Amino acid sequence: MEVILLFLAVIVMLGIGVPIAVALGLSSIIFLMYHSDSSLASVAQTLFEAFEGHYTLLAIPFFILASSYMSTGGVAKRIIRFAIATVGHVRGGLAIAGVFACMLFAALSGSSPATVVAIGTLVIAGMIKVGYTKEFAAGVICNAGTLGILIPPSIVMVVYAAATDVSVGRMFLAGIIPGLLAGVMLMIGIYVVARIKNLPAQPWAGFGEIRASASDAGWGLFLIVIILGGIYGGVFTPTEAAAVASVYAFAIANFIYRDMGPLRHKPRRKEGESWHRAFVRNWIEFFVYLLPAVFHKDHRQTLLDAGKLTIMLLFIIANALILKHVLTEEQIPQHIAAAMLEAGFGAIMFLVIVNIILLIGGQFMEPSGLIVIVAPLVFPIAIELGIDPIHLGIIMVVNMEIGMITPPVGLNLFVTSGVAKMPVLDVVKAATPWLGILLIFLIMITYIPWLSTFIPTALMGPEVITTH
Amino acid sequence: MHYQPSSRLGKWVNEFEETAIAVLLGLMTFLTFANVVARHVFDSNILWALEATTYLFAWLVLFGVSYAVKISAHLGVDALLNVLSPGKQKVLALISATACLAFAGLLLYGGWEYWSKFYTKLSFLEAEDVPFPVWMQWTVGLVEDGEPVYENIPRYIPYFILPFGMALFMFRYLQATWRILKGEQRMLIASHEADDMMEEMEHDLEAEGIDIVGKQGKGD
Repeated sequence: MEVILLFLAVIVMLGIGVPIAVALGLSSIIFLMYHSDSSLASVAQTLFEAFEGHYTLLAIPFFILASSYMSTGGVAKRIIRFAIATVGHVRGGLAIAGVFACMLFAALSGSSPATVVAIGTLVIAGMIKVGYTKEFAAGVICNAGTLGILIPPSIVMVVYAAATDVSVGRMFLAGIIPGLLAGVMLMIGIYVVARIKNLPAQPWAGFGEIRASASDAGWGLFLIVIILGGIYGGVFTPTEAAAVASVYAFAIANFIYRDMGPLRHKPRRKEGESWHRAFVRNWIEFFVYLLPAVFHKDHRQTLLDAGKLTIMLLFIIANALILKHVLTEEQIPQHIAAAMLEAGFGAIMFLVIVNIILLIGGQFMEPSGLIVIVAPLVFPIAIELGIDPIHLGIIMVVNMEIGMITPPVGLNLFVTSGVAKMPVLDVVKAATPWLGILLIFLIMITYIPWLSTFIPTALMGPEVITTH
Repeated sequence: MHYQPSSRLGKWVNEFEETAIAVLLGLMTFLTFANVVARHVFDSNILWALEATTYLFAWLVLFGVSYAVKISAHLGVDALLNVLSPGKQKVLALISATACLAFAGLLLYGGWEYWSKFYTKLSFLEAEDVPFPVWMQWTVGLVEDGEPVYENIPRYIPYFILPFGMALFMFRYLQATWRILKGEQRMLIASHEADDMMEEMEHDLEAEGIDIVGKQGKGD
């Protein structure tokens, strides 16, 4: 019963505006002091070990850093240009291109709100200009933005892997089919609506534009090739892959895109300059400006931005680990599992309950923190019931995605309302029809395990399930 | 959301905090990257890189939490707060602040206990891989009978961030409580991580006057 009080304390504190990290940490500490003889020093130790002992979590700051080099307006612009060039000419093209751009951006950034901000700011304004209603534009982007946490690399997946000891590599692979499927389902939905409502199409820009925009956006998108290729090629661990991706992104942002640093806004190829002259000049510039770029104030700002986000997320995760420690010590998951099995609940009923918990939780809480708490709770039960751990992970990620756009308080709804400058209630109304598509998607993901497990099993062999 | 320090000391401290965060993250990335290069290009291995990176990681977060309090960047749920009157908001903000202070106090105490154990009784315990250069030990006087005391850094050095970081954390919450009392600050939390980014994007767009739709058809 005390455990119910514990969760109640967390929820009440969250409600009155206590930071998530503090709400989790303080309730766990009070519970520990009251309920067991563990000392405050051991709590402090748990806090430090979150960083010292979890090699997987170390990937998070690097993924955040890589994506903050790439989360600039300049990169979003290049991706959108490529998306419009490829799919803009079909009916409802700009909206479909918006979804496509969100999918591509999601591959650079592991965060859904960031995807909405980066793509939404540009695309929503653009859509309104060519005659879409503001509601339609906001609704589409609000939904497509949630793909940020499903398409690899995803911070939430790293957190799930760290909390349950499954492989990060498998989780990333498992996200590929669901990520593409969700995007395509949204696109089909838009196309159908566009046919009915006779929405505008963009002029066909020609293969030249596709090639030009692809080679421009390609520099950034190659990041995902480094990460996935490096992990599956066995060249490096996910943590190392993320660090290498950061260094690559630094080089691209400073020397190819030139969105930051000493060469900012200086062209790679000057007017009338020959191709090979520019090539040689660019390489010389690289060596001359490498150190100045590292110590440039723009670079400090990018590191600081990524650092801030790392601090916020990891402090939540570290405190959630204290709570996890409490739950494990009290054997809560085992008790719940026993109770559920006794009540005759099977795997399907269990998944429905998990769905509901996450849909509600995902509205109030930051996804990474929520997953550290819920994953250790449901993971042992799921294994007991014969559910695949990778499949469970994808289900949880998709649930949180939907939690972010479920009224009344989904996070993405608020971000979209800020980006589109419209009241939250209007965004809710605008997003609801598309939410239906994602709900169908959730049901498919939940009951067709193959969608999640096919690629990881095919590439990495069948999984060895370990409980601990 | 952008923090503007007012006094000269405030500016200096802010500069120091921001640079420290940037440098810690930069070093972590560089060490990990260098280790990959060492392995694949030079077929060797920086043995202490991983352990040093995890220590830097802990320092980054435990040092940074106080900075995040200062700029009110810690995430929370503001859905309920936003529908309340300013008076009620203030009451709830003060209750929240009390909870935060209690949390910081408990962790400060626990962190101090944990660290002082390593500083006194367990001061002989060393890190597994990170070496302690001899010249550094000479400089700080860690020498007995002409020999340096340690081979690797003693554990109380990385662990020092626990009491230190938590003391700063508590100090920043005291300041925040004071600001709430004076009515200069409304709440302790930010609602989502992209708050900052939103401002920046708008800034970028205004500066460049980007017109994405206008780009259409430029290709042919």
